[in-house]
Amino acid sequence: MLNSIIFSYTTFVYFAAFMFYLLAMVMNREILARIGTVASLIGLLAQTVAIILRWVESYTLGVGHAPFSNLYESLVFFAWTIMLLYMIVEWRTKNRTFGTFVTPLAFLAMAYASFSPNISSQIQPLIPALKSNWLISHVITCFFGYAAFALSFGFSLMYLLKRLDNQKRNNIFLQLIPGRSILDDLNYQMIVVGFLMLTLGIITGSVWAHSAWGTYWSWDPKETWSLITWLIYASVIHSRMVRGWKGKKIAILSIIGFACVLFTYFGVNYLAGLHSYAK
Amino acid sequence: MKDANILNRNLELQVPEICVIKTERCYQNHMKENPTVMTKSKSQSRPNVIWGFFSTVKLTIVLLIILAIVSILGTLVPQEQGAAEFARRLNPAMLQIFTSLDLFDMYHSIWFRVLIGCLAMNLIICSIDRFPATWKRFSTRPEPDRTKPFDNLPPEQSFLVQGTLEETANRVNKLLQSRYKKIRKKEVDANRFFYGEKGGYSNFGVYLVHLSVLLILVGSLAGSFFGFDAYVNILEGEQIDTVMLRKTMNPLKLEFTVRCDKFTVEFYENGAPKEYRSDLSFIVGGKVVEKKNLLVNHPAEFMGVTFYQASYGSAPGKTVRLKISRSTAEPTVTDMKVEAGKPIALPGGEGKFKVIDVREDIMKMGQAVLISVQPDQGKPVDFWVFKQGKMALKMLPEPMLKSPKFNPSAFKPYTFFLDGLETKFYTGLQVNRDPGVSIVWIGCFLMIAGLFVTFFLSHNRIWVHLLKTDKGVKISAAGTANRNPVGLERELEHLTRDLKGLFGKKG
Repeated sequence: MLNSIIFSYTTFVYFAAFMFYLLAMVMNREILARIGTVASLIGLLAQTVAIILRWVESYTLGVGHAPFSNLYESLVFFAWTIMLLYMIVEWRTKNRTFGTFVTPLAFLAMAYASFSPNISSQIQPLIPALKSNWLISHVITCFFGYAAFALSFGFSLMYLLKRLDNQKRNNIFLQLIPGRSILDDLNYQMIVVGFLMLTLGIITGSVWAHSAWGTYWSWDPKETWSLITWLIYASVIHSRMVRGWKGKKIAILSIIGFACVLFTYFGVNYLAGLHSYAK
Repeated sequence: MKDANILNRNLELQVPEICVIKTERCYQNHMKENPTVMTKSKSQSRPNVIWGFFSTVKLTIVLLIILAIVSILGTLVPQEQGAAEFARRLNPAMLQIFTSLDLFDMYHSIWFRVLIGCLAMNLIICSIDRFPATWKRFSTRPEPDRTKPFDNLPPEQSFLVQGTLEETANRVNKLLQSRYKKIRKKEVDANRFFYGEKGGYSNFGVYLVHLSVLLILVGSLAGSFFGFDAYVNILEGEQIDTVMLRKTMNPLKLEFTVRCDKFTVEFYENGAPKEYRSDLSFIVGGKVVEKKNLLVNHPAEFMGVTFYQASYGSAPGKTVRLKISRSTAEPTVTDMKVEAGKPIALPGGEGKFKVIDVREDIMKMGQAVLISVQPDQGKPVDFWVFKQGKMALKMLPEPMLKSPKFNPSAFKPYTFFLDGLETKFYTGLQVNRDPGVSIVWIGCFLMIAGLFVTFFLSHNRIWVHLLKTDKGVKISAAGTANRNPVGLERELEHLTRDLKGLFGKKG
């Protein structure tokens, strides 16, 4: 299928973008970072086209549905949301060093989707429980939330690395990472966006569960893990807004939070539950 | 990295020593508890220990993290239905610990509810404790001639205009009136001071979020007290008026009867189910009041009870296909379709028989029926007839083989054979009543609204200072915000631009 061919090319494009961003920092050449941006844009554009193609293709196969229905499609969409959010951040901050820490996440998601032997790229028909208008809003809100947390994870890593930067070390890579207050602020902004999206994702999910299974909350492992993630980020927001925690503490909490996101996304597949179609 | 400087400048606002425009965030480092969202009331000497304990945000964070950790536990230990298998593998001592802590139904255990109760208490008391300070911040109008906001004011935020002080003041006043609320003015010698603000309501966003959490908890409590969670399977063409409660496994009688008129299931080419549908009739007092089609994701409500298409399956119906051979001088074989429970005459007329039990699978030996023959004279003879008679004979233990109970020829001269059961579809329905659900949805809506207000709106306070000098009237604008310093800077840039425009100056 054309769309999955484009998706596997996109994987390489994102890898190239990552390499350019990385080399730009190692060699201190702005031009390389610009090439990285161009590569990211091409990748994002190609991926957008492929997602639309896949959507259209599912209709020609007679099983028409939005391409958000299994692990392959969700991984592709995850990479897409990460890249889209990243492009917005790069455009707003005019700083390309973030790319080194964010594009590898999109690349990994795409590589996992394209090359894992356990993941089928076939367009599959929807089981009755997934046939709902809530599918689109639930998946979009959840994955924008996950992507915002992924970016926040990248910024947290940068923050912790930047702490190693000092005059004596004179490391060009560390020097190019933006100042700590910028990273801290961006990190928090991403957490806020992610938290709002995760909240929306959980709510749309429970409205959907209520119409499909008759209960808005059933302590299914995926639901519980999304609540765990929500609780972790809620404590991050409280510690920052009310207790004024900043910097290192927030960075570490954000990394823990992202670990919870990853478990909500992947780890839960090893526990039995109602979300089994996302395997 | 020239470009990065733009961002740097914006974000430096948060670093106290180089504060360009005073934002309240600047005080963060001087105060233990940052006043941006909720300020703890000054009366911290409240004697009540419980109040003191529940009014700290430290407790909130600890509770949130504890809840997260115990929830993880609940996803690792199988809950409810899955628990039995897991429990069998535990040694008795561990099993004792697990059951006494309710670990197999953790989310409904007392201690989990106590934790949530503590969080609710914490949330209520924190909110009450901090509300007066928030109200004060919302309602007080600071003095227009405060000088602190103007400390370290960047030069581009001031400019000179020609004209009289009075006329300039009037025009500035008009502009501010159109844009801000709670305008205050002050005149001191050659100075004119103005104050205005917007977004004061954003101070209450956080209370909206807290209220929403409470509403969701109240809604779920209402659901568990006044609602029920049950299921029922209905064979196609049949009707029920009781459902089975999931929690207690007790039957619950409904105020009406539900009949499944028709059940249809469609499959994709790969064999996966595509759609399944039950056509239901709701019957009150023997009359069909309403007919509804039930699909997955499309529940139907009747008299406050909601039905959901949950599953389907096939089950033996009441019709049984039998072959009866009569081995006399002239052997005969008769095929019969028999309705379970109905007495039928034997082909030779020696009496009557009926099917009194129908099993889809008995002792892993396949389909079987229990037949009871009532001869014209004598006692009834009961025996099982298996569909796979030969296989069943091999599997049966010796004593059972000899028992007439398992001999299809127990009533001479007949031998019964089971050809098959007429299976029917049944529809599996989830049956709920949850009066709390609308409260939960209101809570969800408020939560989103509250989060939006809390995160994206801010309380911007603006001061404008007019000073008559020899060269003209000097206008400066400064401000504070409880959040989003970048947004405040943009707001001030716009205000300064429009003030300049007011006096024909190009921004």
